[in-house]
Amino acid sequence: MSIINYAAKEINFKVVYYGPGVAGKTASLQHVHRSLPEGNKGKMISLATGDDRTIFFDFLPVSSLSVRGFVTKFQLYTVPGQVYYNMTRKLVLRGIDGVVFVADSQFERMKENVESFRNLEENLREYNYELDRTPCVIQYNKRDLPNAAPLSYMEYLLNRRARRVPSFETVASRGTGVFEALNTVSRMVLLSEFGQEQEVQRNAS
Amino acid sequence: MLHDVVIHENEATRIGQVLGSFLEESGVSEALLIDRSGQLLASTGKSPSFDTVSIGALAAGAFSSTNAIAELLGETEFSVLFHQGVRESIHVSTVDKETILLAIFNEGTTVGMVRLFAKEACRAIGAVLAEARSQPRRVGALAAPLTADEVRTDMGRKKH
Repeated sequence: MSIINYAAKEINFKVVYYGPGVAGKTASLQHVHRSLPEGNKGKMISLATGDDRTIFFDFLPVSSLSVRGFVTKFQLYTVPGQVYYNMTRKLVLRGIDGVVFVADSQFERMKENVESFRNLEENLREYNYELDRTPCVIQYNKRDLPNAAPLSYMEYLLNRRARRVPSFETVASRGTGVFEALNTVSRMVLLSEFGQEQEVQRNAS
Repeated sequence: MLHDVVIHENEATRIGQVLGSFLEESGVSEALLIDRSGQLLASTGKSPSFDTVSIGALAAGAFSSTNAIAELLGETEFSVLFHQGVRESIHVSTVDKETILLAIFNEGTTVGMVRLFAKEACRAIGAVLAEARSQPRRVGALAAPLTADEVRTDMGRKKH
């Protein structure tokens, strides 16, 4: 849910990193936080358990290039991945403009990936959002691990809807591919809010 | 679908005036208007050192989770939240379905005073926001659609 403030000359968007537990959502945000210069980021906040699992959300405000004199700001959130935290996961989705789905590439985690993706669709529906109309990209994370499933298999499992979304091979712990995914989803968010109809459709197909 | 928010200069001025009088009358040190998705809509105060962006995101999270507890208890919502600290305290109240008002105050005032004036401020801001929601979203520089070239975001790329 974007917020345009003509007085402050700011446009604010909310992007949520979604996916199963320990897939690399927090690691992705930490890379963004580490890499951006001071002027382009705020403080990163993590609400985590003692063993570093996100219990509510991580939060990182970042700012991007100005568009026609308006500073574009993206508030990045993660959700807790564990199945039993669904209520808090749903709360974080409130008012989103875009989603980065972080999938765990390890073969044995495919079931969790598929379940989490379905859970995303269900939770979006509760806010009357449809995944096909929400800017979304997929990060296939942990591509450096020896037991990573082939990309085509993961695409078959997670990205064979009528509207296929852009997907990226990432290694969040090293930062590989993280900004490519973030820049793509933020462009999609901007286009869906301020672009021409046909450009939005072209971008989504 | 939740409604997008747009604040034009006129509404920003009026919200600023309401928050300013709220600050003066109630004795709070900082007032933040927060969208329930966690985004800060406006803030006024005497303590510029507060990280209002983080406070906004966390307070919206706390408010949402408290409302989820209310639902589990059979309530529709808890419309007021109060966190008491040794020096600073926080009072959160509902403006409308999408917005909350957060007041940070210390021993210079009392929770009763804050509650009394917050109610009035919430009503006044609610009326401004209702008008804001009926305003056109894209005017002036943003009236024409952005081109593909204009939507480069380039985060994390080294400047040339």
